[in-house]
Amino acid sequence: MAHLLAPALPDRARMRRSAPAAVSAVALVAMLCVCSSLQPGVLTVEGLTLVLSATVPLVIAAQAQMTLMAVGDIDLGIGNFVGLVTVVSATLLVSSPLLGVLVLIGLVAAYAVLGLLIHLREVPALIATLGASFLWLGLGLFLLPTPGGTTPGWLASFGAWQPAGFPAPLLPILVVALVVYLLTARSAAGVRMRGLGSNAVALRRAGLRPLTSRVFAYATAGALGVLSGLVLASQTGGGDVSSASGYTLTTVAAVILGGGSFSGGTAVPWGAAIGGVTLGLVSVVLSLLDVRSDMQSAVQGVIVLAVLAGRVVVGKVLR
Amino acid sequence: MHVDNLPAGGTAPPQTGTGPAARPPVVTARGVTKAYGRTRALTGVDLEVRAGEVLGLVGHNGAGKSTLMRVLAGLEACDTGTVLVHGRKASAGDFRSVRMAYQETSLCPDLTVAENMWVSSRHCLPRLRWRRAASDAVRRRLDEMFPGHGVSPRDRVEDLSLARRQMVEIARACLVDRLDLLILDEPTESLGPDAARSLYAYVRRLIGAGTAVLLISHRIREVLSVADRVAVLRDGAVTAERPAAGLGEPDVLELMGAHVAAPSSTGARTASAGTAARETVAELRGAIGPGLREVTLRVGKGEVVGLAGLAGQGQQEVLERLWRPVRRDTTVNVTRAYVPGDRQRSGVLPLWSVGDNLIVTALRGIARRGLRRPAEERAVVGDWVKRLAIRGGAEAGIIELSGGNQQKVIVARAFASPSGLVLLDDPFRGVDVHTKSDLYRLIREEAAKGRSIVWYSSENAEMAHCDRVYVFRAGRIVAELTGEEISEERIIAVSFNEDGGND
Repeated sequence: MAHLLAPALPDRARMRRSAPAAVSAVALVAMLCVCSSLQPGVLTVEGLTLVLSATVPLVIAAQAQMTLMAVGDIDLGIGNFVGLVTVVSATLLVSSPLLGVLVLIGLVAAYAVLGLLIHLREVPALIATLGASFLWLGLGLFLLPTPGGTTPGWLASFGAWQPAGFPAPLLPILVVALVVYLLTARSAAGVRMRGLGSNAVALRRAGLRPLTSRVFAYATAGALGVLSGLVLASQTGGGDVSSASGYTLTTVAAVILGGGSFSGGTAVPWGAAIGGVTLGLVSVVLSLLDVRSDMQSAVQGVIVLAVLAGRVVVGKVLR
Repeated sequence: MHVDNLPAGGTAPPQTGTGPAARPPVVTARGVTKAYGRTRALTGVDLEVRAGEVLGLVGHNGAGKSTLMRVLAGLEACDTGTVLVHGRKASAGDFRSVRMAYQETSLCPDLTVAENMWVSSRHCLPRLRWRRAASDAVRRRLDEMFPGHGVSPRDRVEDLSLARRQMVEIARACLVDRLDLLILDEPTESLGPDAARSLYAYVRRLIGAGTAVLLISHRIREVLSVADRVAVLRDGAVTAERPAAGLGEPDVLELMGAHVAAPSSTGARTASAGTAARETVAELRGAIGPGLREVTLRVGKGEVVGLAGLAGQGQQEVLERLWRPVRRDTTVNVTRAYVPGDRQRSGVLPLWSVGDNLIVTALRGIARRGLRRPAEERAVVGDWVKRLAIRGGAEAGIIELSGGNQQKVIVARAFASPSGLVLLDDPFRGVDVHTKSDLYRLIREEAAKGRSIVWYSSENAEMAHCDRVYVFRAGRIVAELTGEEISEERIIAVSFNEDGGND
């Protein structure tokens, strides 16, 4: 009788969990195929570098969003935060590098304090991060009212780095995903973060402080946000506080595409990377397809919805 | 790795020859009181758990068992009185050797089994390569406790069945370098009979090694067969403490202050005679599917139909099929209401009041032209709150209620709707005897009004309240019992009968 009672769950369950990322990966490959049929040069190293480079800051910001979604929170300030980092790196980091570095470290600490307040005052993360996003915007406008400035030389040379043999943007995408994977999925700190998103009561009963987990997650997200801003500044060569305002919701979509959930508890670093690249590629494909620029947003939305629908369908089949 | 408090070899009881009274107490509560707001959960508890004994703790829902357990496990401080661990006034660190397995489990569903072990037993795991150590330890402990458990340390808890989650929860509680007191809160409510037997065999080994075990259960017969002593908790105080030997189930029920009337064999089932003549409201004709193998059954108007057998033999699949008759082999002619068994997960709307929780299904029937009618709703809610004596009234928040009272609300929700067929998915797990007898009466009354009820229960004794019982085994119906044939002994005999399932 035991074989009847034993459901073949685990393997199927594992498949079901990786299904969303697989669907996004399929969409990613499909878009690359479309690109290469229109522009055969896309599949060369130079072509891929060109196509992927725009997605790198988005993918890193998506990892920040994923870290917060793993503890069950959501960050509505990440877009302006990344924008603020580009401003800092185009102004203070050039004029007085030491102060610039201190400010960037201070921004990471500000994220940790934000997590602390959210936890202690029991404010919804949604509201608190939305409020913080205006703070980041205001600070950015104060430092640099109009887009401009120049990035430090080392940052610019990183942006222009073109190694032979492989597309340069792949390196930061993979390295960041690996680091976040080790942190959130393999380490004890990751267990505490996911445990907080999954069942805070169990965490407390086991004598672990949920506060520590939340603050750690926010500090991680802040650090990733700073990294994302530096990469974005290295590509644009200047600072603009509203250059990444679209990231806020796109990163959420990237995490969902990668298999994350709003309720928390799961960490999907590889999925978030795939989802971020997929979303970043959509606009490239649309411009290659000569979609009118005023229609691009709408078409982009339809593609995202289609991928999400594919995720739901696959999830149903694998139930 | 020092998570193995129990060596694999034989363990000689260290206190051979000494009487139970001479054993040293592990945890002692003296005059413990605890109040939440105006509710006095504990009114002065004196209790002693001694090394090498199983102490059974029984009491109604709301008698203060959960609070007492939290105090004994050091999760909450008491208002007055003292808790002593090994005779010393306990500070937070002393409770590390007191472990508790929760009924609703305290696992993180999104984490793997091994990661959950890290959360609760990290003190005993190495800092590096803890994952491997936790996996080995939990696998070994599960093998010891529940042979053939079928749990892998890499499984996520959310993918495990309720019974396996419970196994993991109990193994989690036992996984510690030093275990002085193990508190088991309704450990067998979701376990099958085999797993329950394995668990109690392990409990015997634990007490042989000098650990104390505090067992809380509504299954009084089980408590009596396992425990050395039984303590009865009533209205926040221990009212009786007896040796389990020589104590019978009726004695314990009496000590608990229950007046459980056995279902009168004539009154409860007067309607069973005319089963064949009843109008059919729902039917399965050779239904097949995952977990179902050619199931044919019918439900008549005003009939209480029981689905019995061992847990997980297709009963819940039948309920699912009746709830959503998507295939052509199922016909249901009336509207349905569903009472889930897992009230924490799919039952209550935690932010809503009792009244809102109760009325949500009936809402549409009461509303006129899409507008709610609060006066009528209030009348219906008030009626049900009074009828089932739901503590706290309609305005109380649902999660302020005790488990038994929450369950009353969930059941009332189904019966307050105009549905002709009510599906009960083992709804009385972990509910006290008082509440149960109230709800049994409700079921009979509603059936007499012409409603049909399909009732799956893991407790075979409950099936005595049905008109007809289908016994399931491996996705098939192996027997149909009616009227006087329905008895716990008969159901057990049929569900274990190997020949019955393979014809």
